[in-house]
Amino acid sequence: MSTVLTEAPAAHPAANRPFVLKGVMQAPVTPLHDDFSVDYDGLAKMVDFHVRNGAPAIAWPHHKAESPNLTMEERKLGAEVLVKTVARRVPVSIFVGSLSEEDSLDLARHAQKIDADMLLTISPYCRRPTQEEIFHSIVRIGSHTELPVLTYNSPWRNGEGVEFTSELVARLIERLPNYIGMKDASFHSEKFMEISRVALRMRPGFSIIMGLEHLLASYPLGACGSFSSCGAIAPNLCNRLFAALVANDWETARTCQYKITKLYRLFKDQYPSSLKGAMISMGRPAGPIRGPLPTATKERVEFLCRQLEALDVINTEPHGW
Amino acid sequence: MKAFKPGLVHVPVTPFKTDQSVDYDLYAKVLEFHLRNGADALALPMQQGEDVSLTDAELRKLLEFALKHVNGRVPVIAHVSDPGTAIAVSRARHAEQAGAAAIASHPPYFWHPKPAMVAEHLVQIGSATRLPFFICTPVVEDAGTRLTAEIVLDVLKRLDNPAGLVDASMRFVFMVETISLGREIRPDFQLLAGTDFMVPNAVVGGSGAFSPLSSVAPKLARQIYEHCSKQEFMQARKLQEDMAELHHLVKKGGRAGLKTAMRAMGRACGEPRLPGLSLGEPEMGQLAARVSACPYLSTEPRGW
Repeated sequence: MSTVLTEAPAAHPAANRPFVLKGVMQAPVTPLHDDFSVDYDGLAKMVDFHVRNGAPAIAWPHHKAESPNLTMEERKLGAEVLVKTVARRVPVSIFVGSLSEEDSLDLARHAQKIDADMLLTISPYCRRPTQEEIFHSIVRIGSHTELPVLTYNSPWRNGEGVEFTSELVARLIERLPNYIGMKDASFHSEKFMEISRVALRMRPGFSIIMGLEHLLASYPLGACGSFSSCGAIAPNLCNRLFAALVANDWETARTCQYKITKLYRLFKDQYPSSLKGAMISMGRPAGPIRGPLPTATKERVEFLCRQLEALDVINTEPHGW
Repeated sequence: MKAFKPGLVHVPVTPFKTDQSVDYDLYAKVLEFHLRNGADALALPMQQGEDVSLTDAELRKLLEFALKHVNGRVPVIAHVSDPGTAIAVSRARHAEQAGAAAIASHPPYFWHPKPAMVAEHLVQIGSATRLPFFICTPVVEDAGTRLTAEIVLDVLKRLDNPAGLVDASMRFVFMVETISLGREIRPDFQLLAGTDFMVPNAVVGGSGAFSPLSSVAPKLARQIYEHCSKQEFMQARKLQEDMAELHHLVKKGGRAGLKTAMRAMGRACGEPRLPGLSLGEPEMGQLAARVSACPYLSTEPRGW
C-alpha cells in the first residue's frame, strides 16, 4: 500500500494527495548498453541527475523512454529503480500505457505495490478508439488502482490518436475520484482551453501537464507544468522557463520558450534518437536506441554538438552526471 | 515598408436574402455595427463572411461596396484566397486598385500541392501588389496543404511585403516556431490570432487578432485584446474562458452557428448561403437560448 494512500485513504484521494504537480517535470530516457539491454545503473544515474537539477517530479517510461520497445518485465524493473532512486525526494509517476489493456492493469498493480505516487495511462491506443471505448478503458484501469491517475491526451490527426474531449474528461472526473490530471499532447488552444475550462471547474487542482515544453501558450490557460523533452540536455533552461512563467515575466519566458523550441526542432526527427545523440555532447551518454528507431550516427552527433554550441547550451548547462 | 499593425480586426458576416443574393442594405448595417463597436480594422470576406460561397464578381463587388461604405474610417483588409493562383493574383490586384489597406490569403483549398508549390502560390499573390500581405492558415487544414513554419519562412525570405501570419490553426508549436524564426528574417513580422483565442497567441509573441466572435460579443473581444496588449495574460484568463465557451456554443451550430448567435443578440442577418444549411427550428432555439443565457453577454450590445 502506498504511504500516500495510508496517509490519505479517503474516498477522494485526488483531493487529498499530499503533492502538488507543477513545474517542468522530467521524463528520463532509458539508457541502454551497447547490446541494447537496459542499463539500470544508467537509469538510476539519469533519474538522480534530474532530481539534483531541480525536477519537481519524475515520470517514466514515456515514449521518449522507448516504452513501446520495452518488455513488461523491463518496465517493472525500471519502475522499481525509479522509486528506489528518487526515494520520495519528489513524486514519481509510472506510465502504464501499453497495447494490451491487461498489461496496463498489470503495470498499474505493480506501480501501486512498489509505492509509486501516481500513474499515467493511455489505453487502448493504436486502435482508433471511440470516446466510449476510451471511457471504459480508463475507468477499468482507474478503478483497478488506488493510486492517483493521470491520462495521456494524444489526439493525432485524422482521428487516429486517443483524444480526450472535454465531455470525456467530465465523465471521467465524475466517475473516478482518483482522476487527478492529464498529460496533454494536443498542443492546441481550443482543445486545451475546453478541457481546462471544464475540468478545473469540476475539480479544482486538476493538473494539466503539457506533453512537452510547449508550455508558454498553455500556462495562462491553466497548465501547471510540463513533462520535459529536453531536460536531459538543458535542465537549467527548463527551470528558468517555469520560474519566468510563475513570475509572469513574459519576456524571459518567451526567450526561454523560443530556445527550447529550437532544441525540440533538433530532437523531433526520429525522437528520441537525436536526443540521446545530443546527450553525448553533454557528457551524459545513454547508449543506443532500440529498433526500429535509428541510433544517431557519428555525423548526426557532431551536427547536434555544433547546434548545441550555437545555441549556447554547452556552456550554460551541466556537463556530466 | 512601415509595418501595418491592424490591431483588433473584426470579420463581418455576409448577409444573404432569401433569394440567395447578397443583401447589401443589411451588409451596410453589419459594417456600421463593427465600426461603432470597436473594430480597429475589418477583414472581408473571411470564412465567416462565406467567401467560398461567393462568385469572383461578388467578391470584388462586396469589397468595393465595403470600401465605399467604410470610407477610410478604418483600414479594410481584402481576403483574396482562391484555389487557382492566377485568380487569387487577379483578385489581389483588384483589391489594391480598389483601395484596400492590405491583402490576406491562405494556401489553396482543394489541391494537395507540395510545400514548395504552396510557397510559390503565396509568393505570387504577395508579389502581385505592394500592399501588406497577411498569410493565413487554412480554416480546414486537411482540405489542402497544412501551412508549416518552413513554408512561411520560405515566403518571408522571398517577399518584401509579408506583414504577418493570421493563425487559425491554434497549434502551439506552429505559432512559436513561426513567430520566433520569422522574426529572425523580418523583425517586424506579426503573429495575429485568426480566432478569438487571443491569449495563447499573444503570450508567445503575437499581437492583434481577426475576431470572428466580435459579431456577437465585441466588448468581450475588446477586453481580451486590451489585456493581451498590456501583457496581462493571467488577468485575461476568465475572459478567455468565457470567449472559449461562446466559441464552443457557436461551433456546435456548424456553419449556421454564428448567424444564429447574432440573431439571438438581435442582429438577424439571414441564413448561410447554400449549400450551407440553416439550423432546424429546435436546434436554432436551443442555441439561441444557450447564447442568451450566457451571463457575460449581458453587457454586450443588443440589436444594431
